[in-house]
Amino acid sequence: MAELRELFFESAAELVEKLNEEALRLEKSPGDAETARSLRRIVHTLKGDAAACSYRELSELAHELEDALALESQSPIIAELALRAADVFTAIIAAYKGNRKLPSLQALREEIARLAPPAGESAAPGKSKARARPASMPWSEYERLAIAQAAESGKRIHHVIVRLDPRCGMPIAARQMIQIALASLGEVLALYPPDGTTPVDDRIEAALASESSVDEIRAKCRIPTIAQTVKVTPLKVPAPAQTVPESELKEHSEVAPKTAGVSAADEPAARSDPAATAATAASAGENILRVDAERIDTVLNLVGELILAKSMLQQTLVKFSARFPKDGLRAQFSDAMALQARVLSDLQRSVMKIRMVPVDQLFRRFPRTVRDVARQSGKQVELVVRGEDTDLDKGILDSIAEPLMHLLRNAVGHGIEAPEARARLGKRPQGTVTLAAYHQGNQVVIEVSDDGGGIDAQEVREHAVRKGLLKAEEAARLSESETLELILRPGFSTVKEITELSGRGIGLDVVQSVLTRLKGSVQIETSSGRGTTFRLRLPLTLAILRALLFRVDERLYALPLNAVNEITRATEDQIHEVEHYEVLRLRNEVLPLLRLGATPEAGAKTAKRKVFVLVVHRGDRKFGLLVNELAGEAELVIKALDDQALKTSLVSGASILGDGRVVLILNLIALVDRFTGAGANPGVRMAGLLANLNSAPRSQHSQTLGMAGARA
Amino acid sequence: MEQFAPVKRSGDGQPVRYLIVDDSVFARKNLASMVQSFGGEVAGEAGDGVSAIAEYDRLTPDIVLMDITMPQMEGIEAAEKIVRAHPGARIVMVSSVGYQENIVAALQRGARHFVQKPVKPEVLYEIIKYVMRDDQETAQSAGA
Repeated sequence: MAELRELFFESAAELVEKLNEEALRLEKSPGDAETARSLRRIVHTLKGDAAACSYRELSELAHELEDALALESQSPIIAELALRAADVFTAIIAAYKGNRKLPSLQALREEIARLAPPAGESAAPGKSKARARPASMPWSEYERLAIAQAAESGKRIHHVIVRLDPRCGMPIAARQMIQIALASLGEVLALYPPDGTTPVDDRIEAALASESSVDEIRAKCRIPTIAQTVKVTPLKVPAPAQTVPESELKEHSEVAPKTAGVSAADEPAARSDPAATAATAASAGENILRVDAERIDTVLNLVGELILAKSMLQQTLVKFSARFPKDGLRAQFSDAMALQARVLSDLQRSVMKIRMVPVDQLFRRFPRTVRDVARQSGKQVELVVRGEDTDLDKGILDSIAEPLMHLLRNAVGHGIEAPEARARLGKRPQGTVTLAAYHQGNQVVIEVSDDGGGIDAQEVREHAVRKGLLKAEEAARLSESETLELILRPGFSTVKEITELSGRGIGLDVVQSVLTRLKGSVQIETSSGRGTTFRLRLPLTLAILRALLFRVDERLYALPLNAVNEITRATEDQIHEVEHYEVLRLRNEVLPLLRLGATPEAGAKTAKRKVFVLVVHRGDRKFGLLVNELAGEAELVIKALDDQALKTSLVSGASILGDGRVVLILNLIALVDRFTGAGANPGVRMAGLLANLNSAPRSQHSQTLGMAGARA
Repeated sequence: MEQFAPVKRSGDGQPVRYLIVDDSVFARKNLASMVQSFGGEVAGEAGDGVSAIAEYDRLTPDIVLMDITMPQMEGIEAAEKIVRAHPGARIVMVSSVGYQENIVAALQRGARHFVQKPVKPEVLYEIIKYVMRDDQETAQSAGA
């Protein structure tokens, strides 16, 4: 039961999301019948799911809404109503989930009742015409073939849609009654739903080849307590029947001139696509397996262990080859290893792919957010979404939901100007917020841009100083991009009064903190009067990292490979000290250095000591990391660190190499910030940043990673 | 109880004659009082499928209200046998929601309609009217 509940919450959230989407679509193209139907289907599904979990209130409310939508699919206010309903549904679902008291449903109830007071079988002629449009024809391939053949042999085919009487508690039996009634009139070419299944939407659709008149068919099907309404229209032949001669279709038009116009308008869309997509969607649905993310993580972890085992084997092979260089087994050994390596990398890729989902899963929530914020702040904003099919690790995607929400609220609330202001500037009154995702190398980039007023760096500086984030003279030293980064600091907010919309009491610092945790980065670009872009760079996956390994004071560390721009060599005597900073002249630039290890004692002996400098970027500034020795590249399987054992922001994770050695993965941003004093004591030289890390005993690391026993 | 306009046989204007089949005496009495309120006449009652067939042969009622689950012979089989012997028989299956498949089977074997337990008089009334309405038409098709 608990599992069922979980599943319900998951699918209910999806349904509400879809409800939002369709409502927004309907708002854009009011009166679109297909969207209205889709809206109703979603509500219907939610009703059914809720009922199955005995969530009576939700089920009843959805039911009321569904009925209202069925009756008033053309009403201009249903988009608004559906959006309102989506909010209430979300609140109800959250209340169920947290075993909390339900929110008040009265307001929504009244709105629904206002939309559609219960109506009888026949409505005004104008309305019934609109509603009599044949829906998508949900028939099987076989049935469509039967329809096509019947059409070819010149039979009159009717499309019969029966809406079941809501009092009828036995829809399958009702379907049987309809089938018998239809069969008494002619040949039932197709009947939906299939035998023995419950009609969706309380709706039965049939294709009937019969010489009976429309009135006869209607009378026959209008069975008390079974059928509430019966609609009969001439059937346009669906998919496989594209061979049907034009005259055939014309004949139908002549038979029923009143409805023909409607059907013809509807036809290009209805002809093949809805049926086909419905079929593929259904079959795709059957093949989808819902798996707990933890199980996939277990598999991924095991793959990581295998990669480890592979490198152990490789090292053994190296030793073996050194000891028995002439042994014939060596070749066999390495052939087998090559095969294993190939399979392993395929395996790794496949497992990682399981965790990848299109960003659309997240992005589809945002049109609603943007719309609401725009409304509340009196802006006119269009959200443009690009690259929604870009894949990203599910865990990362979940983590960036909040930051993205924040950035979008911020773009609409603060970025885009009010329509009048835009008009004064000669811009379109409607602003554009663009949300784009794309791959770049081993990263996924997500951009949130607006075409608003841009961010004034000087204002940011002054504000930050006022807020006490830094001193005026420090602020003056900051480059433009460093200045912009200030807005990501905790306690910064450019709008004087914190609005309920975008501020919510927290600044954009949540963006920075999440991105840091994900080993990603944020970049801000702004242009006065033209707009602002927030560019989030994210790793493809959290589990495996391509890393550069190096040694500092005999210990092994790693940095993400794509964080390192350049590697250069230097000797100690080339390093100079300027204003308490160690610097290196690299080509024509002065590169500030971060000494990760202990400062060497001064003397002639150390002067010629060689060091390696890893050139890294933080924002638009370059830094050099001083390390003792490079140790190559590796694919690291990241293990979570136990916070108890190693509590420092300088390390973001750890991994184990083939020979069992532990590698600490450094957090570049924290490292640079510590160095430049962004967090604390500015100006103090930070030599031996990693010194305290070294004091932690090695065995403890191993235990932290849960690998000690295996490597003993 | 609500007042219903009496349903009469279209041929001779006489009251509709019912055979009520249910193994529960209570259910039979309940249905009997309902059909009486529709101006009908209870021609007979039966508590199982076997006696239902015998009673139908003896009484040839206008309508049979047939329960699905009964001892000795189930409603479906009884309905099927009656319809085979008397193609014009009007059988309305009476059942609770859980027996939907049985109702489908009964409909496929010639039952005319069904009503859900607990039976609501206004629903049954509509069904009776419907089943009696097309009696000429079905008599023709049954003869063919």
